[in-house]
Amino acid sequence: MFKRTLLGALSACGMTLALALPAAAQDAYVVGLTGALTGPPSSTYAPAVDALRIYIDRVNGAGGVNGHKIKLILEDDSAQPSKAAANTKKLITQDKAILVVNASLSSTYAPIMQETKNAGVPLLFASGVCPKSVYPPADPLQFCTTGYAANYDSQAALDFIKATAKGDIKIGFSAMAIPLSRGEIDHAESLAKTMGMTPVDKEVIPPPTADYTPFATKLKNAAPNWVYSWAPWVTQVRTLEALRKLGWTGDMIAWAHLESEAELARLKDENFYVIGANALFQDGLPIHKDIEAAAKAAGSKYPATMMTEGWIGGMAIEAALKSAGWPADAAKVRTALENLKLDTKGLRGGVIEWNKTNHFRTRVDYRVYKWSGGKITRVQDWKTYTVK
Amino acid sequence: MQLFINIIVLASIYALIACGYVLIYRVSRVLNLAHGELMMLGAYLVLATASLFAGHPLVALGAAVLLSIVVGAMVYVFLMRKMTGEMVLAAILTTVALGILIRGVIVLVWSAQQQYPAQALNLANPSLTLVGDGHISLWSAVLVATNILVYGALFGFLRFGRWGMRMRAAGQNPLLAAQRGINLHTVYALAWGLSTLTGALAGILMALDSGVTGSMPIIALKAFPAALVGGLDSLAGGLVGALIIATAEVLLIYYVDPLLSDVVPFLVLLAMLIVRPWGLFGTREELDRV
Repeated sequence: MFKRTLLGALSACGMTLALALPAAAQDAYVVGLTGALTGPPSSTYAPAVDALRIYIDRVNGAGGVNGHKIKLILEDDSAQPSKAAANTKKLITQDKAILVVNASLSSTYAPIMQETKNAGVPLLFASGVCPKSVYPPADPLQFCTTGYAANYDSQAALDFIKATAKGDIKIGFSAMAIPLSRGEIDHAESLAKTMGMTPVDKEVIPPPTADYTPFATKLKNAAPNWVYSWAPWVTQVRTLEALRKLGWTGDMIAWAHLESEAELARLKDENFYVIGANALFQDGLPIHKDIEAAAKAAGSKYPATMMTEGWIGGMAIEAALKSAGWPADAAKVRTALENLKLDTKGLRGGVIEWNKTNHFRTRVDYRVYKWSGGKITRVQDWKTYTVK
Repeated sequence: MQLFINIIVLASIYALIACGYVLIYRVSRVLNLAHGELMMLGAYLVLATASLFAGHPLVALGAAVLLSIVVGAMVYVFLMRKMTGEMVLAAILTTVALGILIRGVIVLVWSAQQQYPAQALNLANPSLTLVGDGHISLWSAVLVATNILVYGALFGFLRFGRWGMRMRAAGQNPLLAAQRGINLHTVYALAWGLSTLTGALAGILMALDSGVTGSMPIIALKAFPAALVGGLDSLAGGLVGALIIATAEVLLIYYVDPLLSDVVPFLVLLAMLIVRPWGLFGTREELDRV
């Protein structure tokens, strides 16, 4: 009798446990991220991923979203397409992620897009460059919060040069030998011609380069008074440094990547401008103080100044999950993202607003900074461009 | 003049890295495919010693250089020694694994972001103007001078030094060398230490000039053709190979297309492999052992 009772009790416990385990697993919003956490390009993506993680931890610490925690699963793809594909498959099939986030090189996009498309799971690009598929007419499953935007960035940079330069503009270009950077610089070169500038040289520099001086020599000998670079930070800054070593004294403008704030202070070059869609920390916004405090509390090895992109990604995820309600699935999250209107509290020049056809944003705003008078100064306030 | 300076600087970078490949291959017939990572580790060690010896940049640099010799010797003692007697391929694959391990450790310890050892040491990098309006940065000039010193010292050491002769003997006939009382393990450990030292010097000086990121080992891959073109068992070959590759690279960047700079080392290598597979100064009989 006792034996039968014990067996019955054990079976009941087992059944309860079996039912309870999946329930516990489903008690959180599962968000999967595949990113370049290691490998050569990770300097651009790892800080953003760390910021996103810190943001989500903070949300969870405050009780989560709609009373439920966000379970963020991080997978490293080292910027390798095959790893990114395997990660995405695992996140969707094994971890049951209802949203996949990408923070990696553009070479990983195709396999991730394919995997998420097959599973009908929305895909958010946070810190990697926005692909064409998020611009109008957007792919229904793909969204992007990243600040940099092909074509618009060059338009804004060249507009700034035009407004700032005195006299004729002889412009040189520098790109990294990756499709995206080359494409954008080609676009800038033709745009410059239509704006009355004279393109004098264009250097497309391979990523693993021991010495940038040979490229800079050619650029300098073409005698530009302005140089524009839209490439990963290493190419931009090393082109500038090589030009300066050669005695070139002209002006240069480059994209304000995550590294730019610390780098402006390191370089202390009064003729070097950075243009970007994120407000730098020198602006001292309340949200900047928030990010600094959170990064410090989390013991991050990255400076807070490199966390804006990841923070905005985290804000978008929180807002989308809040709107999707509980319980949420991939379809509900997709619908929520499609109607997202995100106030970035000053990190960007305006709200990030998505609709059925536009998963990039309806407007892009740019600020320009440089080092001047012993500190970073803003030389152009938000200038808005409407996304068509 | 500027083109000439550019060639000399690039050739010095490649030569300094290439002699590390040559030293290990010459003594133990192993291709060290972790050489790039060991070079990068040397650059990162400066960051560690800079915080240990704050305000004493020369001490910090000296400590990083010494540490890199120790790291190289430790790699042999704790890892490569176990490969003694195994197939050469197994030893080469071990170096590949070592490279992956070092890359992972560096990201964990120093993060993935670009670092500037010169800034940590509070050292400037002014541009020096040479004759003919040529320019060179201070640390590039130091790199060229270091390259000359390293090659001079290595030639002297291998030719006249007692341990240098032992290294040559071990490389030519390890069995006979062992029978003559040469401690092979000490010789191999020394070769690994010296090889890592030369790589680390290249890494440190490049990092002082323009910073360090996780992509530094790729530069070492571009220096590998320099060692092969010159002859993998010839120190002089490494120097000449580096000069050939750097000249081709700089001239193609300037006169043809910058994009060719990425492939030209390997084009030169292919041409050499077709014409003279053992390299310009390499030993023909060594080919079988590769």
